[in-house]
Amino acid sequence: MSAAGRGDVDGAGDVVALEGVRFSYATRDASCDDELLALKDVSLRVPAGQRLGVLGPNGGGKSTLVKIVLGLLRPSAGSVRVFGREPVDACRAGLVGYVPQRTMAELAFPLSVSQVIRQGVERGLRPWQRLGAEARRAVDEAVELTGAGGFLDRPIGRLSGGQLQRAMIARAIAARPRLLILDEPAAGIDPAGQQRFAELLGRVHEAMGLTTILVSHDLRAVAAGCDAVACVARTLHAHTSPAGLTPAVLAEVFRHEMEPVLGDLHVDAHAAADCDDPGHAHGHSHVHGGGS
Amino acid sequence: MNTLEYVLDPALRGVFLPAFVAGLGLVVCTALLSPLVVLRRLAFVGQGVSHAALGGIGLAVLAGLSFSGTGLGSVGFYGVVLAFCVGASLLIARMSARREGGRSDEADTSIGIVLVAAMAVGVIALQLAHARGVRNLPAWESVLFGSIVSVGWVDAAVAWGLAVVVAGVLWWGRRSVVFWAFDEPAAAAFGVRGGLVRDVLFVLLAVTIVVAMKLVGVVLATALLVAPAAAALRLSARLGPVVVLSAAVSFVSLVGGLVLSMEMDLPPGACVVAALVVAYGVARGVGRV
Repeated sequence: MSAAGRGDVDGAGDVVALEGVRFSYATRDASCDDELLALKDVSLRVPAGQRLGVLGPNGGGKSTLVKIVLGLLRPSAGSVRVFGREPVDACRAGLVGYVPQRTMAELAFPLSVSQVIRQGVERGLRPWQRLGAEARRAVDEAVELTGAGGFLDRPIGRLSGGQLQRAMIARAIAARPRLLILDEPAAGIDPAGQQRFAELLGRVHEAMGLTTILVSHDLRAVAAGCDAVACVARTLHAHTSPAGLTPAVLAEVFRHEMEPVLGDLHVDAHAAADCDDPGHAHGHSHVHGGGS
Repeated sequence: MNTLEYVLDPALRGVFLPAFVAGLGLVVCTALLSPLVVLRRLAFVGQGVSHAALGGIGLAVLAGLSFSGTGLGSVGFYGVVLAFCVGASLLIARMSARREGGRSDEADTSIGIVLVAAMAVGVIALQLAHARGVRNLPAWESVLFGSIVSVGWVDAAVAWGLAVVVAGVLWWGRRSVVFWAFDEPAAAAFGVRGGLVRDVLFVLLAVTIVVAMKLVGVVLATALLVAPAAAALRLSARLGPVVVLSAAVSFVSLVGGLVLSMEMDLPPGACVVAALVVAYGVARGVGRV
């Protein structure tokens, strides 16, 4: 494994390592009941410097996977290490930058864009401390890189989707994390905005060389700027380069919502045969590939 | 009877002044907590905790502690009520946040259950106390709507002590609290201890509500936690001004409500709340322009 220095903390080569992760939202122990699992048997390694796209249908467990990597959820079984540590510890050490789904924040909150962008860097300060020169420079660089400079004084609730997204990315990278996680960043943004967003991610990667996990149900968002793709629909279906996303793989992952994602792509006969029951929510999966 | 008589007459001033000073301390607490209550949609939590106080009152009466009195005599009584409210508040926090990704009605359900359970405890305990011959039962009116004559200098000192604690804790944790309130999952990802922030906030809320109880009563305590920031948020989209406006609305409503109560000889708690509602209405009107 060619660990590129930056992400190599505590001697662990992989930034994120999931091993046989299972998760169920059901209250009672459902580890034996496959139907109740949101995720089952997910094994995944993200080497330093990689840009991993996590692709999958809505309700397929992508957000659950993100919450597990962030330490917001504990897996029912299996192990999770982020920089060789417990996810919560990695987050508290400031190693992880997170760009949440647009719907998660309380946008009526009376905060300006610049106050939100500084939230990440200010988190580690003692109550009486103010931002140091270096931290202020990091904030300025993040603002510059994301182009958020034009609306710094505006209330956070009065931004367009694309502007809000740039502010959230600026907040994440201003804290100088080593792992950047973006949850459905393309949701609610028009195609032109998505194009600009892909370019922005490219610039961020170029400038900071961050290990990145980009989660989306949108094939275009993932294919544009990722070195590797993990397809998640309750379990890991394939972990390949974007070029390895064959119609068969996609059909397997998106069995119940192929139309909006694949458009007029050709779907092969094997996959089409699996689509006989579109109303049924995720039956037993035929596992392709498994953990890589 | 009018306001000047209250302020000038030494005997009346002895009743009025402690209540006014206690009220000022109280509105410092509620004005600071109010933006968080409104923005985090905790109004119903306040309602739940304030009604839980009835359970604490029942138990305190059953234990033979005295509700009335302006001195240290009522400290034991309020100690029991306080412990009960803090417990109920933390119970609501735990029940409603047990599982990440749970259904959104879990907070409502847990509040509803804790609220009725606490009130049932209160009713049963009062009945038992009555059966045991306890005669010093609190007047329901003063529990529900506050009793200004029962507010003494001890209460004023408690209110100001709490004001210092609330202001200090919120200043100390301001970055974590604001981050958590604005975007809980992201705050956790950035290393904010959301559980700790929530528990501390819920304890502050519970203590504030118990202190508010004597002045405005159980039923009206939540008005002080909701109306000021609801009005302030109509007028500004900046955090600093919202906190200042929330304090201003609270202060003006407190003074206005007390003056109204003295001029018209009406219950002070209800008058303060009426003033708060009017302030909110005015802010709505002004905010639209």
